[in-house]
Amino acid sequence: MAGTSDNGVPEPTGDGQYFGPRAHDPEPVHEHDPADVTRTRFLSGVALAAGGVMGAAILVPVVGFAVVDPLKEEEFRWVDAGLASDLLKGLPPFTDANVPVGGVSSTAISGPAAESDRRVFIVSALKKGKTKADWKSLTGDDFELLAIWNRCAHLGCPVKEGGGVYACPCHGGAYNERGLVTSGPPPRPLDRFDIKLTDGKRDIPLAEHVKTPSPKHKVLIGKAYSVDSQERPYKLHLPGEPVDGVLSNLYPL
Amino acid sequence: MATKNIGPKPPGVTPGLQAFDYVDERTGVKFGASWFLTRNIPRGTSWFQTLGFTAMVLFSMQAITGIILAMYYKPESANNSAFNSIAHITNDVTWGWLVRGMHKWGASAMIVVVFLHMGRVFFFGSYKYPRELTWVTGAVLLMMTMFMGLTGYLLVWDQKAYWATVVAVNITASAPIVGPYLGSILRAGPEFGPDTLSRFYSIHMLLIPGGLATFIGLHLYLVTKLGISEPPWSKRRLRVERDEEDARRRAARERVPTPGRTTVPGIPAEVSATAKGTS
Repeated sequence: MAGTSDNGVPEPTGDGQYFGPRAHDPEPVHEHDPADVTRTRFLSGVALAAGGVMGAAILVPVVGFAVVDPLKEEEFRWVDAGLASDLLKGLPPFTDANVPVGGVSSTAISGPAAESDRRVFIVSALKKGKTKADWKSLTGDDFELLAIWNRCAHLGCPVKEGGGVYACPCHGGAYNERGLVTSGPPPRPLDRFDIKLTDGKRDIPLAEHVKTPSPKHKVLIGKAYSVDSQERPYKLHLPGEPVDGVLSNLYPL
Repeated sequence: MATKNIGPKPPGVTPGLQAFDYVDERTGVKFGASWFLTRNIPRGTSWFQTLGFTAMVLFSMQAITGIILAMYYKPESANNSAFNSIAHITNDVTWGWLVRGMHKWGASAMIVVVFLHMGRVFFFGSYKYPRELTWVTGAVLLMMTMFMGLTGYLLVWDQKAYWATVVAVNITASAPIVGPYLGSILRAGPEFGPDTLSRFYSIHMLLIPGGLATFIGLHLYLVTKLGISEPPWSKRRLRVERDEEDARRRAARERVPTPGRTTVPGIPAEVSATAKGTS
């Protein structure tokens, strides 16, 4: 430090260079050293973090509000569909061969919204191994009840019942009496609901209802499920999703 | 020829110019407008290059007619209020049939024009360097336009609208892995209901239009910054492409090995040998 005067203030050296005190002495800034935190860098970081927190405080509730409720699973309960004497068709005793053996009736049941056109076909179907030719000897034990949802397994249009089989108006899917695909694009059979009979106190087996019908017997419709072509049950799938085969792995969640 | 810019100006002109200068000094609007509007365009620019502007005009028309339709439309499913309000617009409100018709046919026209615009860009090769990001923003605009079509279709709330949208949402829901979630979010639950209608209405008139306006701005900025591409039959462009091809061939010739040199660095030996054999 050349040329310091008595009071400690450096004198000009005359070669144009100033060695005196400065208002702000720039420190060497090491841009690439993360440990070197300058005031500017610190405040920028604080501003960014605060902005991020504020943004999240706005966005998280908003997105959650828009998205979370729709993703909740539908709650199921047993729904009273009506009187068994009205809804169950084609059950024994049969008086002659012309009486229809097995039958379908259709009824609307309440879905999650009034707009959901959720209809169910209540089918009295012969169990496997039984044929209509044995109509004389058929009893209630030879029948089972199916509750088939009218939602097409292809893309969700309402299927229509005619002559005991089902057809979809949108893309030509066709299903047989048990809702199994006979032609068209559907990747799986029609979905079904759990179905049971009750007299208000206990569940009534179908055979008992056939033997001793009562106006107190009601049909209850329960939880929906999907089936594969062998009628094995699966959890309810959306339209367009296969329940088995390679493609079912596309919907793992 | 004598200059005309002398003598007193008609009344009102000077205050008008002063007002313009006031604004221009504070905003730079004169430079911005000339940057945006008075650009050089290549020789051969034709009606083909007007399709993008047409699409933008159609978007403006959809925005204006949509705002007016929203004054009468009621997005409620209870008592068929949505359907009835559309019947009211069509049958009772003065010129309601016209405004609704403009919105409906304008939507179809916009899809058509946007596709024509995309075809023009594709067949003219305008998506190539340096305009790749203009193409990407345009692709986003295309998707948003289609989504506008989907969400607007449901708002009529008749049987056709309802079931067509059920099918469309189920198609979305059959996408792998995320599809079921997207379907549920669109539907506002496991089945269509009143929430679906208001959700589609909100998406149709608030969410997507904002995105469309933003991306139209980006798209226009890129078009202005990068300029219009030359048509494929431009002689200058053909010359540039021919020069590039010549340069490529020249570079390839230089890679052919000289006599006495068996291999060329960086080229597999068999390729090098073949090249030597043919030369």
